[in-house]
Amino acid sequence: MDYLARKYLRPRKIPSTACSGCGLGINHKAVVQAIYELGLEVEDVVWGTSIGCAGRQTFGTWKGDGFAGTHGRVYAIARGLRLALPPEKKIILTVGDGDAFGIGLLHLIHAARCNADLTVIVNDNLGYMSTGGQYGWTTPYGSKTDSSPYGMFEQNLMSEGMDVLNILRYAGATFLARHVSMDGYRVVESIKKGIQNRGFSLIHIIYPCPTNFGSRELGTRSPLKIYKWIESKAAPLGEEKEETLWATGIYYDASNSRPEFSETIRKNIERIRRSTAA
Amino acid sequence: MKRYLETGNFAITEGAILAGCRFFAGYPITPATEIAEAMSRRLPQVGGIYLQGEDECAALHLCIGASLGGYKAMTATSGPGYILYADPYGWAIGCEIPLVILNSGRVGPVSGITGAPGQGEFYLTRYPTQGGNYETIVLAPNSAQEAMAITVEAFYLSERFRTPVTVLADQLITDGFEDISVPENEDEMKDMGFRIWPRKINRGPNFYPPTDEIDIPPVVLGHNTGALCSDWTPTEEGYDIEEVEAHHKHAHRLIYKIRNHRELFSHLHEKKFMDDDPDLIVVSYGTPSRVVNTAVARARQEGLKVGALRLINLWPFPDEHFQKRNKYLVVELNWDGQLVREVQRAAGKDSEVHFTGCCGELPTVNDLIEIFEKILKGQPLARKGWQLEEW
Ligand SMILES: Cc1ncc(C[n+]2csc(CCOP(=O)(O)OP(=O)(O)O)c2C)c(N)n1
Ligand code: SF4
Repeated sequence: MDYLARKYLRPRKIPSTACSGCGLGINHKAVVQAIYELGLEVEDVVWGTSIGCAGRQTFGTWKGDGFAGTHGRVYAIARGLRLALPPEKKIILTVGDGDAFGIGLLHLIHAARCNADLTVIVNDNLGYMSTGGQYGWTTPYGSKTDSSPYGMFEQNLMSEGMDVLNILRYAGATFLARHVSMDGYRVVESIKKGIQNRGFSLIHIIYPCPTNFGSRELGTRSPLKIYKWIESKAAPLGEEKEETLWATGIYYDASNSRPEFSETIRKNIERIRRSTAA
Repeated sequence: MKRYLETGNFAITEGAILAGCRFFAGYPITPATEIAEAMSRRLPQVGGIYLQGEDECAALHLCIGASLGGYKAMTATSGPGYILYADPYGWAIGCEIPLVILNSGRVGPVSGITGAPGQGEFYLTRYPTQGGNYETIVLAPNSAQEAMAITVEAFYLSERFRTPVTVLADQLITDGFEDISVPENEDEMKDMGFRIWPRKINRGPNFYPPTDEIDIPPVVLGHNTGALCSDWTPTEEGYDIEEVEAHHKHAHRLIYKIRNHRELFSHLHEKKFMDDDPDLIVVSYGTPSRVVNTAVARARQEGLKVGALRLINLWPFPDEHFQKRNKYLVVELNWDGQLVREVQRAAGKDSEVHFTGCCGELPTVNDLIEIFEKILKGQPLARKGWQLEEW
């Protein structure tokens, strides 16, 4: 990350304290790379995070302003902040799957509903991993975790043909993409598109957690094993195979097609202010 | 000055706007709905923003986001919504974010009776979130006019202390119609004792200094100050840290920035017939105090030497009023007795502390006078159906 780190990140937080072999750093780097390629400066971005591995490992890394919300609430905080910041300031959120799709789903849906200009990067390690490895709402069917010792058998947001991105699409999101961390440059491209959309964007990135998910489901902490396992279950959209769990790529792109939340509010307030002042 | 026959909800809304509030996020609930409605009407007229949250937890988080972006922000609710603030309230205390929160008490627990006044959140406002290691500021008006002044004061204190301030009202104050004067310019505001503290921006690099000082500007994001705020224990710069020593400094600040500046609250009380060392001091806050004041005045005419102490500043608790050995009667709008516990603690063993509570309705003047007489004669407070209980 050298040149990127020097330009955008705080030395105090680099390297992170994530477990060795953790895939989170790949996602983190993809976000910073996307920011760089869009020509954005430190002052152009306010960076918010959730808690958990996804939140704690990325909080305070950005050289500019940053915040970490309580579990699941960062979408509501960011929506309030969106109204206070000038429209050209980007708000980027790096969060966990439990945070976004579990405890925070209501707030996430409402952020999509009003098309708030936020770029949400959901770092999905397939469950609640900083608490030791419990199943979440995207954990693949049959997976063993500390709270699904007989294999995950409850319906979730990614089972039986369900897809959490469908919920967000019909809630009003204007840019949605899904990747696995190993997608390399394709991840960066999707994040760039997400940031450029003046509206609600979410990029869902499955990444390897060797320490908890890998050790329970695959019986090993070998990073190589879980990297290969995730890769084998991902395929680009349109090229899915029987074993594919994650079709990757841009899932839905309606960038800049709907009025953005803060713009709508500002415009209407201006209209009311003028008409009532007269 | 403009006069209105209006509700406390109206007065609170106008007070907030005078104090510079330009962001309100709410969620409908009796008896605070009309504040949200009034805000939705009034704020856009002054360039402010009204939003409805998906729930109260979201509403307060929306306010937090707006305050972090530089707005003076407020929300309003009643008990069932106030309990959903537990999560954001704690975050705002920890990150030292100025906010004003209005709680109009109704009868609980849970939804209880929606259209009757209650005082069930005396302790909840002191401990609105988990974890401990903080002090809270809570103010309780007893009229619509005072609710306006107290709302202005709440904004003032929230900025100086960088913390959420709860205004604890009740259904009669927010819903009741009263004669209300609204100041129209700065001079009139000054005449009415309204104090305004502007939002300032902390430029860092030490956003969380380990001192009990007040008047340190809060974190405002978006100005590239490098500000950080999170739900974890902060270093002085705002980095998350898992060290007990750092937490000691943080907790010390959260408690003592408030406890060590009690002089800012000391005027927030009202005394009636208290100059001649009364034999019985009747303690209350909010709407019941208006009945208490009438009852005490009548009792004086009947030769009973009673006085009335009304608390406006509930937290940090004003122990100083209870230093003298005396007989106290605490009158509350609940049956379990909440304020009375605090009075008993502050007054100490040598004092005699009695309690009478009502549930969903106010006490009557006659009932109160009867209780004064009994206490002064040293008689036990006889049970009277469900209405009056000795605590
Ligand atoms: C309200 C609340 N509930 C539970 C927790 C405990 N907790 C801390 S981290 C975490 C896991 C979050 O999972 P996820 O968002 O998927 O992030 P990950 O750790 O997997 O990156 C939980 C549940 C909390 N901090 N707050
Ligand atoms: S527990 Fe898993 S996700 Fe969290 S830092 Fe370790 S490897 Fe990464």
